[in-house]
Amino acid sequence: MTTPTPQLTTMPAPTSRAARFRQQHGWVVGVAVLLAAMILVRYLQVERFGGFELRALTAGTLMLALLAMAQGVVVLSGGINLAVGALMVLANCFSAWLMEDASVATCLVIALATVVGTAVVSGLMGWLVTVSGMPDIVVTLALHFVFVGVALLILGGPGGGTNPDFSRMVVGGYSDPLPSLLWLVAVFLLVWVPFRRSRAGIATYAVGSDRQAAFLAGIVVARARVQAYVLSGVFAGLAGIATTASLGSGSPQESIALGALLGSVAAVVLGGVALAGGRGGLLGPVLAAFVLTLIPAILLSAGANPNVAVLLEGLIIIGVVMLGGLLELRRRKQ
Amino acid sequence: MSTAVTTSLPRTRRLRGTLADRPVLVLSAVFVLFYLVTGILDPSLFSTGGLRSVLLLACPLALFAAGQTIAFLTGGIDLSVTMTANVAAYVAATQSGAGPLQAITLALVVGAAAGLLNGVGVGVFRVHPLIMTIGMSSVLLGIVSVGLASGGFLTGPAVVPPLLTTLGGGTLVGPVPMNVVVWAGASVVLLLGLVRTGLGRTIYAVGDNPTACRLSGVKVWQVLIATYVIVGILAAVAGLLISGSSGSVGPSQTNSFLLPSIAAAVIGGTSILGGSGGYAGTILGALVLTVLNRLLLTLGAGQAVQQIVYGAIVLTLAWVYVAVSGQRTD
Repeated sequence: MTTPTPQLTTMPAPTSRAARFRQQHGWVVGVAVLLAAMILVRYLQVERFGGFELRALTAGTLMLALLAMAQGVVVLSGGINLAVGALMVLANCFSAWLMEDASVATCLVIALATVVGTAVVSGLMGWLVTVSGMPDIVVTLALHFVFVGVALLILGGPGGGTNPDFSRMVVGGYSDPLPSLLWLVAVFLLVWVPFRRSRAGIATYAVGSDRQAAFLAGIVVARARVQAYVLSGVFAGLAGIATTASLGSGSPQESIALGALLGSVAAVVLGGVALAGGRGGLLGPVLAAFVLTLIPAILLSAGANPNVAVLLEGLIIIGVVMLGGLLELRRRKQ
Repeated sequence: MSTAVTTSLPRTRRLRGTLADRPVLVLSAVFVLFYLVTGILDPSLFSTGGLRSVLLLACPLALFAAGQTIAFLTGGIDLSVTMTANVAAYVAATQSGAGPLQAITLALVVGAAAGLLNGVGVGVFRVHPLIMTIGMSSVLLGIVSVGLASGGFLTGPAVVPPLLTTLGGGTLVGPVPMNVVVWAGASVVLLLGLVRTGLGRTIYAVGDNPTACRLSGVKVWQVLIATYVIVGILAAVAGLLISGSSGSVGPSQTNSFLLPSIAAAVIGGTSILGGSGGYAGTILGALVLTVLNRLLLTLGAGQAVQQIVYGAIVLTLAWVYVAVSGQRTD
């Protein structure tokens, strides 16, 4: 860097491949390394790291990972969706209400209908945001109440059920720990990756990074934003189905919706998606969801008091985010 | 006919202008309307006791919403207010053996400390306020859980100091509960402070345009820290009053106030994007929401319908506000 000859032009040097990779994917790689390290720790911690452990990890993460994707896609489009948790609870209650004593085939139809339903509802929410000109925080917060209320109307209290075979199909069993991981990978590869490469996906990123510029470049901003909400609804609906399958019932409680919402935001931020929009992907949030699920498990096995584990979890999230803030500051100063 | 049209057009325009400039007037009208409707359905609302119960319930909500309002004004938000309130209430209750004043002071210091950490995260480390305060909320929950575990520092006898019971649930005169005194004090400080003091004006300025603030020499991080400390203290006060009126403390006692506190500030016309709004609207927002709750209870609506109507009203009022003021976010 210390060149003796004075620079004649102010043209910036071309960034090397490595530098570009670090800028674009550095955070996700960091999260992946962290996750690998944590899985290793967990592997050493548990005497026989077998189907039980693997299933607990994959099935436990499925819901949070899907929610993180639901939140992530809206954040990428430059907004925030405070209703993802409530939408998940709604999908959970709706499907558990219908799936009680249903056959596997019926369950699949119900699951499909639920996901289509949440996609439509979420799309309408996005439409409301763009048409009304209200801040998205306000609209999604108000609809958070509404969705929890509707869930409560459908299912007066914890109840409902599902077909055990359907459950096994979605979240697997102790001898068969992989289905939830496969579902997650399938959703990621079959829904997110094609979307990201499509015109709609590129529009989502463009709108998220600079709405004005995207508009001037000929992108229909409102449509791009609504599309992001529709996709968010698909992921939130899937998260609801995953909850129904793993719990075997529905619970219309606001505290669950709020907890799920906070978890989704934490996973998105930890996954390297800028809350300002337009930067990052959904791989990071998914990996971060695994990290967030592993933190309490590892801490508990390490003999930490369960209450201390909650405390440390919060501190770790804050610490990681502060570190991210510091790195960002340093990068801007350079 | 034509004269009617020509005169009515400017009049609606003038009306619009008034509404846009003074959301407080609209909100007052909405409040009076709700109050009358509820009162017709449930005449006990017009009695001294009815008015008192509305004020008693609106006060803690308005204090939480006060915190949200000034956080909104800087372009932020604070999701840790309710956990801060829970912790503060615990501290006051477990330290009450050392005298009420010391217990309350300690609780307020705890609230200020939580706010300080939020402010440092948001102002110095540039963490998004949403994530910083969510994280703080889970840290505070962890602290309470650790403290409550066997042998923890919160396991002592939890007795709400009598001073708080009086402040939180007592009656000053007629329909005016004691907690309104605290609320009124805080309101005067906030209403004057936001407009008349340097800090208040810089809070608006930082929310309006942080870059311009930095370039004109405002130390934005100091303003943000001060803001979140004030939010923490307000939350602690609200938590103390709630523990005083219920006579108990709990690790999630005030959690149901979180989203209503945001809703009250939004209804009050404070922009969540920062820079515009004020506490007067928030006061009315809190009153409107409290009466709305009462109305839904009176109608015998179940919790489900309550939630739905609550969300719908927040949405409608926010939409009317945006439509009338013409302040679209995009």
